[in-house]
Amino acid sequence: MPVLWLILIIIAITTVGFLLGCSRAQRSVNGNVRALHSLPSYYGINVGIWTAIPAFVILGLWLLIQPVLIESHIQQSVQSIATGKDVTFGLIMSDIRRVADGLELAITEGGMTLDEIQSNDLDIDTLLQTLNSLGVILGTNVSNSVLKSAQEYQKLSAGGNILMSITVLATMITGLGLALVKTNKNFRARISVEYGILAILFFAASIAIMTTIGILFSLAVNTLEFFKLYSAIDFFFGLEWAPSFSGRGGSSSLGVIPLLWGTLYISVIALLVAVPIGIYAAIYLSEYATPKVRAFTKPLLEILAGIPTIVYGLFALLTVGPMLVKVFGNNTVGWMDGGTAVITAGFVMGIMLIPFVSSLSDDIINAVPQTLRDGSYGLGATQSETIQQIVLPAALPGIVGAILLAASRAVGETMIVVLGAGAAARLSLNPFEAMTAVTAKIVSQLTGDSDFASPEVLVAFALGTTLFFLTLGLNVLALYVVRKYREQYE
Amino acid sequence: MYDIPPSTRSVVNGNCKISARKVDVYYGDNHAIKNVSADIADKTVTAFIGPSGCGKSTFLRCINRMNDTIDSAYMKGEILLDGQNIYDSSIDPVQLRARVGMVFQKPNPFPKSIYDNVAYGPKIHGMVRNKSELDDLVEQALRRGAIWDELKDRLNESGTGLSGGQQQRLCIARAVATEPEVLLMDEPCSALDPIATAQIEELIDELRQNYSVIIVTHSMQQAARVSQKTAFFHLGSLVEYNDTVQIFTNPQDSRTESYITGRIG
Repeated sequence: MPVLWLILIIIAITTVGFLLGCSRAQRSVNGNVRALHSLPSYYGINVGIWTAIPAFVILGLWLLIQPVLIESHIQQSVQSIATGKDVTFGLIMSDIRRVADGLELAITEGGMTLDEIQSNDLDIDTLLQTLNSLGVILGTNVSNSVLKSAQEYQKLSAGGNILMSITVLATMITGLGLALVKTNKNFRARISVEYGILAILFFAASIAIMTTIGILFSLAVNTLEFFKLYSAIDFFFGLEWAPSFSGRGGSSSLGVIPLLWGTLYISVIALLVAVPIGIYAAIYLSEYATPKVRAFTKPLLEILAGIPTIVYGLFALLTVGPMLVKVFGNNTVGWMDGGTAVITAGFVMGIMLIPFVSSLSDDIINAVPQTLRDGSYGLGATQSETIQQIVLPAALPGIVGAILLAASRAVGETMIVVLGAGAAARLSLNPFEAMTAVTAKIVSQLTGDSDFASPEVLVAFALGTTLFFLTLGLNVLALYVVRKYREQYE
Repeated sequence: MYDIPPSTRSVVNGNCKISARKVDVYYGDNHAIKNVSADIADKTVTAFIGPSGCGKSTFLRCINRMNDTIDSAYMKGEILLDGQNIYDSSIDPVQLRARVGMVFQKPNPFPKSIYDNVAYGPKIHGMVRNKSELDDLVEQALRRGAIWDELKDRLNESGTGLSGGQQQRLCIARAVATEPEVLLMDEPCSALDPIATAQIEELIDELRQNYSVIIVTHSMQQAARVSQKTAFFHLGSLVEYNDTVQIFTNPQDSRTESYITGRIG
């Protein structure tokens, strides 16, 4: 039974369950609703929750787990076909999956029966023709052993699907029955629904966390794979970044230091631009601007945050780079050869970060109680004395937090680096030279023909993991600073 | 009707410190103060009483030009401090506020150390030349705030960590540190418990030796306890202004009588 049908059935039965629950509750008090513990609709919702949620949970888990189990089963027989290399093994597995899908389709739409598909003397050519007429092209070289595995695959998953339908429907009916039996005037349906809602909210919250863990896990698997092929010490402490793609032969140097240096250098320049401007803008907005100006200026500043970073990249490439070359280029001091340089990317990234710093700082400065300002004015301080000595110190922890959040944005930024800073990994102190950052290299290692068994590609995951922990560290530090030093105002 | 210690009843015939002439204050369209004229004596505690929204706090804030920090507020008339109009263009409001100190309704110590809280005013006005002078000034101010003995060993702790009553006395010490001539207090005890209130009231009576103190209060008992002169405000007008004893025993205006006997307010 297709999953869609199953879902529709669950929804339909849930609706029926809701109505049954309502009416059963009312019947238990002979229509005198005030004698019920809860409103009738709560009894209905309770029945609905018990009907739908366990069924959906089992359906979801089953859909996640079944393919994993079947594949691990099939893999054992594939081991004999594959020659041992990872790549071919993966290819064979995907071949098997495709053929199995084809078999499934041949049953549902091609007029073949289950027995025909599963028979030992199923002819490959007949199958291919049937599928061709359905518009599915499997390719010509389907070997006999692949077909056998595919048949096995199809058999298992078809069986699994039937079992799944039965289990899910049984769970649903059991839930419905149990909930209906419990429905009487003394049952506390309101409380029960409360728990149901709690469960739904908890589920929503946990999805975000689970996704993070999932991302980390997928990064970790490939990162470990990389460290099997390439020494971790060389990666973390290598001073040279020179990947050589397998086509050209030779071994690569994949040291992360030049990339981290580039990332940090660009980020520092970006923060040098963004922090003073951002904080001054925030002070102006929160302390000096009249409400009219503020209502107009703040959204305008926040628009900066909404510009896609690729547009900033173009701005760096086409405007800021050439402009800086005019100032520092060969015609004047001769410090700068090309438009792509650390300072170009850093400057543009700084502009991008201004609203992050200013908007958060503005909120934080506004949160400093007016009574503190009054106290300072009352002692005869001027506005700027008050801001410097009272407001900013009180707001400082929050501002530091805002800066750290901006820093983690800067570290993760890609497009501005690609277009503004160049692609050369270099360890240099000169801000007028082209350099590159971790993110830009992740992109360049993964684009093009990637062979996921070579260290040159897998290094992207190691870089990603490094970056993940770098930004995670910054965020944790930001939260820590904000929490620890936050003044508690009532 | 109130337990009035006779000693505080003797009205000092001090010189006139502040005189307000036909003061009107507007918040946007709202006419908050209507044609108020009053003379406030030196070395005297003057209490402003009246129901909420009667303009007593607004009038108080005119005396050190704190209303300047509110954009929509503007005023007419003049207020003379020692004979000089404080709204004259030659007067710098920032300098004025050092001469007319203010204590607020809610204790508002800065999130700094106790020492820095008190040293803040003297520092920004350049009142001291070196650290030891500043130390002396801080000690003197804390003594005047009647809080030196409690805090002398904790000067480096944060001012926000003190109890409400201590915070308010710290704020008074902070205001005293700039050596003002007038001390304005805007309901200084409304956030405090009775014991802390009693301490502050005792302090106010001591401060009278050196300053002209003006206190806004909602509590008529408090006004009767601490002040020598009382002004009753109602709906933005100064209804009656007289010796405290007179106001509470023999009010001339029927509205004053209604208020102090609890019929309005």
